[in-house]
Amino acid sequence: MSAGPRPYALLAELTYRCPLHCPYCSNPTQAAGGSELTAEEWAEVFRQAAALGVLHVGLSGGEPLARPDLDSLVAAARSHGLYTNLITSGLGLTETRAARLRDAGLQSVQISLQAHEEKLADTIAGTRAHRHKEAATAAVRQAGLALSMNIVVHRSNIGYLPEMIALAASLGAERLEIANVQYYGWAALNRDRLLPTREQVQKARETALEAIRRYQGQMAVLYVLPDFYESRPKPCMQGWGMRYLTVRPTGEVLPCPTAGSIPDLKPESVRERSLAWIWNESAAFNRFRGTDWMPDPCKSCDLRETDFGGCRCQAALLAGDAAASDPVCTLSPHRAVVDGILARAGWDESPWIRREHPAVAAAGQVW
Amino acid sequence: MSLLNGHSHPRLAAKADLRMDPVTGQPVLLYPEGLLQLNDSAHAILLLCDGSRSVSGIAMELAEQFECEPGELEADVQECLQGLHQRQLLVFTP
Repeated sequence: MSAGPRPYALLAELTYRCPLHCPYCSNPTQAAGGSELTAEEWAEVFRQAAALGVLHVGLSGGEPLARPDLDSLVAAARSHGLYTNLITSGLGLTETRAARLRDAGLQSVQISLQAHEEKLADTIAGTRAHRHKEAATAAVRQAGLALSMNIVVHRSNIGYLPEMIALAASLGAERLEIANVQYYGWAALNRDRLLPTREQVQKARETALEAIRRYQGQMAVLYVLPDFYESRPKPCMQGWGMRYLTVRPTGEVLPCPTAGSIPDLKPESVRERSLAWIWNESAAFNRFRGTDWMPDPCKSCDLRETDFGGCRCQAALLAGDAAASDPVCTLSPHRAVVDGILARAGWDESPWIRREHPAVAAAGQVW
Repeated sequence: MSLLNGHSHPRLAAKADLRMDPVTGQPVLLYPEGLLQLNDSAHAILLLCDGSRSVSGIAMELAEQFECEPGELEADVQECLQGLHQRQLLVFTP
């Protein structure tokens, strides 16, 4: 057996169609053309992923419920022993649909929460979304599926974090992920409008830590740090091409959901190549594996095997070079870019740029 | 609020999936967005957590299997189960 890394989890982006228009969406702002993978193509992806060692599949999007063939996709993933988790806004998740997905083998559902109350939540989502959350969470519990929720935190909802946590608990979430916005995709376009102030972030961190203790044994609370306010970068994806795979709606395979933003990456497609070849051999997956690619100060840093040089997308976005040290690191020659962004936090009141639907031909229409 | 004692009957929560990792050949417990790599003793304990056996019963069966005193094992079994219960991966019925 090869001694190289093996993937543990596959993020299957089934579609970029979504009824929500959240300004922090990490989906690409400009999708390449092409048609969505069919159910048969996805079944083959799941088979190959399981053979490579993948244990978990996250069925995501866009809104995965927009695929009318979702039941068969779940069943295909389960038939290869993959642990199946649906990552959804909850819109369209009725009791009937939840029961059908459970019968197909679905094990867990993660539902997003935009805010603690309808008016703000719908403003953020750009549509009437909030009132569906209660019904969707009830449908998930009624079906006997595990319920996770996630909250993406930004300047417009960070002050209501205690209320949002309480809402997630009252809706029966067994797991709650509180994630500060990561500034990729649409979020990068809206960065100055979304970025909270240092004081807000500090208060939110205390709230999250308190919630971790308070809900122990009832709801597992996870807190994803706001990396701009850190002095060392996040260990992005636990290393490039080390544990995770993302397959886009049109079949391109990426080391992370936002790696398509790296201009010259040239991802390979499951329509042209096997998943094993892409994982083991492709230039895209090997480009930032290990430490040989690293520039100074990373390559001589004691933390190079701890944070793997941080995030390649962030380096591309902020330093203009995907092979630069993550500018979040205070040792990076580009840290001034992050400090400049932080100095503007809290001032920009311009309207959000709304997530739109990228032009990808649907494999099946629901809306 | 734990119901864990010698008389309680543990079983795996619906969301927990006990299986072998085909790459390593080792047992793993999968759950939403995570996994635990199990050692042999944790695996042996979990295989008996089907809701039909009490914690003491599990300790007795394992003691027989591994030829040791049930009393020595019960504390270890309880510790293992307590950890999994805190992660909400085990359910106890009286």
